[in-house]
Amino acid sequence: MYLRTFLIVSVISFAFGYDRKITSKLNPDCASCSENTTLVYIRADGDNNTVHHLWDFTRGAPTMITAVTGLNSSLTVSWFKDKPENFLFSEEPMYSFAMAIPEIYEYNDLNDLGHMDGRSAGRGIPLGGRRWARQDSVLTERRAMLLMQARARSRNGTVAVKLDFFPSSGFSPELPHLIHTSNSSLLDVQLVNMSATRGFNSSRFALRLLLVGTEDDRGTMVEDVVKSLDDEHTPGVFEIIELKTPVCARGGGGGGGGGGFLQFRPVAYTEPERGVTTSTVVHTSHFNRTHLEKSTTLFTFYRDHINVELLIRDVFVSFGEPGDGFYRQHNYTAWSTTFGYGAPPVETFSLLVILVICIGLSVPAVLAVSGAVYVAARRCRPHPHRRLDDH
Amino acid sequence: MENPEASGNNRTTLSTSSWCHPANRVHRFMALMLMCFLCFGSYFCYDTPGALADNFKDDLHLNTSQFTLVYSIYSWPNVILCFIGGYLVDRYFGVRLGTVIYMTIVFIGAMIFALGAYVNAFWLMILGRFIFGIGGESLQVVVNNYVVLWFKGKELNMVFGLQLSFSRFGSTVNFWVMEPIYKWVATYFVGYERLGVTLFIAALTCLISLLCGLVLGWMDYRAEKILGRLEESENSEPFHLKDILHFKSVFWLVSVICVAYYLAIFPFIALGKLFFERKFDFIPQDANTVNSMVYLLSAALSPFFGVLIDKTGRNVMWVIISNVTTIGAHCLLAFTFFNPYTGVVLLGISYSLLAAGLWPLVALIVPENQLGTAYGICQAVQNLGLATVILLAGVIVDKYGYLMLEMFFLGCLFVSLIAAVLIYIIDSANNGILNLSPSVRDSIKPTRAIDETANLLDTEEFTDQEETDSRPRDWEEEAATSQDIAQVQSDRIRSRYLAQILPNTNIPDRQ
Repeated sequence: MYLRTFLIVSVISFAFGYDRKITSKLNPDCASCSENTTLVYIRADGDNNTVHHLWDFTRGAPTMITAVTGLNSSLTVSWFKDKPENFLFSEEPMYSFAMAIPEIYEYNDLNDLGHMDGRSAGRGIPLGGRRWARQDSVLTERRAMLLMQARARSRNGTVAVKLDFFPSSGFSPELPHLIHTSNSSLLDVQLVNMSATRGFNSSRFALRLLLVGTEDDRGTMVEDVVKSLDDEHTPGVFEIIELKTPVCARGGGGGGGGGGFLQFRPVAYTEPERGVTTSTVVHTSHFNRTHLEKSTTLFTFYRDHINVELLIRDVFVSFGEPGDGFYRQHNYTAWSTTFGYGAPPVETFSLLVILVICIGLSVPAVLAVSGAVYVAARRCRPHPHRRLDDH
Repeated sequence: MENPEASGNNRTTLSTSSWCHPANRVHRFMALMLMCFLCFGSYFCYDTPGALADNFKDDLHLNTSQFTLVYSIYSWPNVILCFIGGYLVDRYFGVRLGTVIYMTIVFIGAMIFALGAYVNAFWLMILGRFIFGIGGESLQVVVNNYVVLWFKGKELNMVFGLQLSFSRFGSTVNFWVMEPIYKWVATYFVGYERLGVTLFIAALTCLISLLCGLVLGWMDYRAEKILGRLEESENSEPFHLKDILHFKSVFWLVSVICVAYYLAIFPFIALGKLFFERKFDFIPQDANTVNSMVYLLSAALSPFFGVLIDKTGRNVMWVIISNVTTIGAHCLLAFTFFNPYTGVVLLGISYSLLAAGLWPLVALIVPENQLGTAYGICQAVQNLGLATVILLAGVIVDKYGYLMLEMFFLGCLFVSLIAAVLIYIIDSANNGILNLSPSVRDSIKPTRAIDETANLLDTEEFTDQEETDSRPRDWEEEAATSQDIAQVQSDRIRSRYLAQILPNTNIPDRQ
């Protein structure tokens, strides 16, 4: 009963977009951390629960962890040199969902399909152990933002990862203008000037995403393609793709308000100036069952869960469409997704759309009615020169 | 083409059974063929950039906006120029001289355009295109005058349709042959020179048209002498610009519909292909098919709606109904994922209905001697609206997406609907004739005798201008296939509309 009440309340609080109060810290409680260490901890207190976000780049692979706890819970990070060694919650999280990008995957798209298929040769570019430079960070009460960059492949090749969290609902400032809420954060990945492997003439780059949730491992992840009428925020794109954990797909359940999701528009950009003309298509692969590598932050975080109840899947997200000249045509790919817990936000028509419809329909109707009354009134009056009696 | 006439000029006395006599069927048919070829050149050259779009971009390193300028520099001046061009023919040049003058301008423009490509000077190309445009649209006007002179009262509708078909046939042929010609030229030249040479070859079609114009001029001169025909333009009263001020408010409301309604049709078709691909996941070919449904339907339905409105009258009511159904069609496309054929078919039906109901309205509102000006105004504001909005629509799609574009179209349609409702109210309040059935109209105005021929030339002129509105190719250079259908449709509308204006002519039932 308590759980159900809690769920209802949290759903309501979600629906009305109650703001959360956020406090964020860089490398919390780390004595031996330098400028090169980046672990951001964001605590977002809502009315009913607290969401803890961890953005970690200390072990190379970009890692985002979201944990939902009661309001009084706190998180302590203990460090070994400049690597987090243990994450200790004062109160066990009700739900936790995490995502990491362990590698970028290059595939030789000989048949020019755009998406990956099993036959094309490919090789992974692991991000584990890579050094990330912090380009920018904003850690205020209104926003938490982190922009990280790492070299990959050649001297010029870079991977840039931008993470964003807002304590309220809204649309991300940049295309594809995804919806963010206080329960989800934004991830934007840019692959710039990546050089192709020798012998690969049709290289495309994909991201391998590792998704982890504290759920039953027997469940199946769901990919929902939601058709949306509204492309106001992402011009020309009428689809939203949602990758949901089993609990999320069932529409909640469990104490934390229901599973985790990735929500994105199937659009990536091939130039820094994002627009309809520079967009390309996003493809997702099947989900695969996988395991956590010992040397990763995810393993450290979920150490105690691994043998109890932990859903671990990976999925490849690839970019491009037939005939676009492959990655080398623009040497640039940027892709955005939101990442959160609970139910994915639903887009509604904007005020402008509703206004146009209302005004547009009501004015002619009012005119027609008043006009009819006016004309009828004129005709009913006796008129000496009436010529239209036969009507 | 022009050879058969050469032998006929030394005979002074001819019987009408001789094929050399201007009244003879064969003779007139030859004149018809020449008239068809008059516009062939300008249509052919108009679409050359579209047919060679990739080569233009590669050889001359044009970006998309420069390439678009090649088309818009043609369209923009013609928002007013075709108006002036027709006026000059009526007042000063006369048909024969006008044809030759405009044809020469077109030819010179095409040559300058080709020269610009040959020396890789973009400004010269634009200048050539501008000159080409000055001649091109006015040529349409004057060729239509020719058609009226030769075929008035007999096969006029058929000839108009045929002549326009042939012109659009010019653009279709262009899409077929330019690529092979370019490839052949490329074996002798490289870079921008090969493009220049290809364009010079294309400009030869304008030279052929010019020769046709000269021959036709001579035939016309001869026919005038033999038949003792009077220049019809001398009979009709030229319009005075101050007449515009005396138009009724209802006329201006009709102009509002002319602009607002058509804004929701043509730009939609121009941008529709991508919309169907993106929103409904159509493959490009299917998207083109559904996109061309509007033209196809109106081609098929226009004659029937013409009959319907002839029989029932009540034009304003039909206009209101078609506005409402168009709004419904756009709502279907904007707010549902129903198969877009539903929406587009409804759009096509509504569009045909509106075209059949709206254009004759002008003839009911405005006195006959001002009809030319009136239709000219409708046409000019419509062209202006379309030229502006096609740019705006692109920006809306890029910045705010297709839903907002649909909202914009709906907004336009609401304006159009409001205007239609206002017409209804004003007309009813003044006991007007616009919304009556034909029999009641006749009983009210028995004295309203219309001399069908008096304003033929005026009528022709604006009919011709109307044709610019059905030129989606201004915006979608790649949709060669849909243009044929657009063209057929435009004939249909014109014929339909002519039949409305000229009560004596039959409603065309060509398919």
